[in-house]
Amino acid sequence: MSRTIWSPVSANMPERELIGRAQAGDLGAFEALAEVHAHRLYTVALRFLGDGGEAEDVLQETLLRAWRGIRRFEGRAMVFTWLYRIAVNESNRALDRRQRRRTDVPVYEQAIEVPAPPRDGPASQAERQELREALRVAISQLSMPCRTALVLRDIEGLSTREAAEITGVGEAAFKSRLHQARLRVRALVGDAALVASAG
Amino acid sequence: MRLRKRRDDHAWSQEHLSHYVDGDMNWRSRRRLELHAEECPDCSLGIRALRALLRLLNGSSGRAAAASAGIFDRVRADVARAETDAGESDEP
Repeated sequence: MSRTIWSPVSANMPERELIGRAQAGDLGAFEALAEVHAHRLYTVALRFLGDGGEAEDVLQETLLRAWRGIRRFEGRAMVFTWLYRIAVNESNRALDRRQRRRTDVPVYEQAIEVPAPPRDGPASQAERQELREALRVAISQLSMPCRTALVLRDIEGLSTREAAEITGVGEAAFKSRLHQARLRVRALVGDAALVASAG
Repeated sequence: MRLRKRRDDHAWSQEHLSHYVDGDMNWRSRRRLELHAEECPDCSLGIRALRALLRLLNGSSGRAAAASAGIFDRVRADVARAETDAGESDEP
C-alpha cells in the first residue's frame, strides 16, 4: 500500500469519495467511512463473544483488516456488509481460539431482553430472568453456523439476503441454518416458557 | 383445492414451523400446516412458541453497545507500527 496519510474530511463527504480517498491511502477517510458502523460492529462481536474486552479486540482487528483490504474493495457489496463480514469472521475466529482452550462461549448478557409487563411483580421478574438465562444457555449451545444465523437474522435484524451474504452462503443454506437454530432453541427453552413470555 | 391428510403431517409440520412463522412457504405447504395445526395442540403451541421466541430475539436488536472512544487511536497506532516495521525491514 502507498504511504499512509491522514487528512480531515468534511462531515457530508459522499461515501464514494471517502472510499476513493481511503483507497489512495488516506486513513482519515477510512475512519470516517468506518466510524458510522463501529458501534454496530462492536455490538455484533459482543453478541458472539459475550466479553467486552474480546469484542474490542475483534473490532480493532476488523478495522485493521478492513484498512489493509480497502484497496481491494470493489463496491459490489455495501461498505456495511463488507465490514460486517469481516467482523463476523473475526468473531468466529476468536470463538474458535476460545473453544480450543475449552472455555465457555457465553452470549452477551444484554443480548436477550425479556420485556416487562406494565405491572411487574417480583415473581414475574424472577421468571423473566430465568427465561433470559435459558435463552442465553440455549444460544450458547448452538453450532457456530447456526448461532451466526440466529444472531444476524433474529437479533441483529438483518435481512436474509444481507445475512447470507455476510456469512458467505446462499440464501437457501442460510435459511436452513436459521430454521435449525430456532427449532433447537425452542426445544431447549421449552414451548411453555416461551408462550408464557408473550402474556 | 382440497388437501388430503397424510400420515407424516405432524413430523413435517414440526420441521417447518419456523418456515411458517417467517411466511416462507408456498400456498399449498402453508395450507397443509394450518390444517394440521388446527387439530394438533402440539403444533399450534409450537407456532405460538416460535412467534414468542422471535419477538424476544427481535426485541433486543435495537440495543447497540458503545465501542470505546479510543478505538481509532489504537488502529492508527497499529498502522503506524506496521509501517515502521515494514520500513525497517526494507533498509539494507
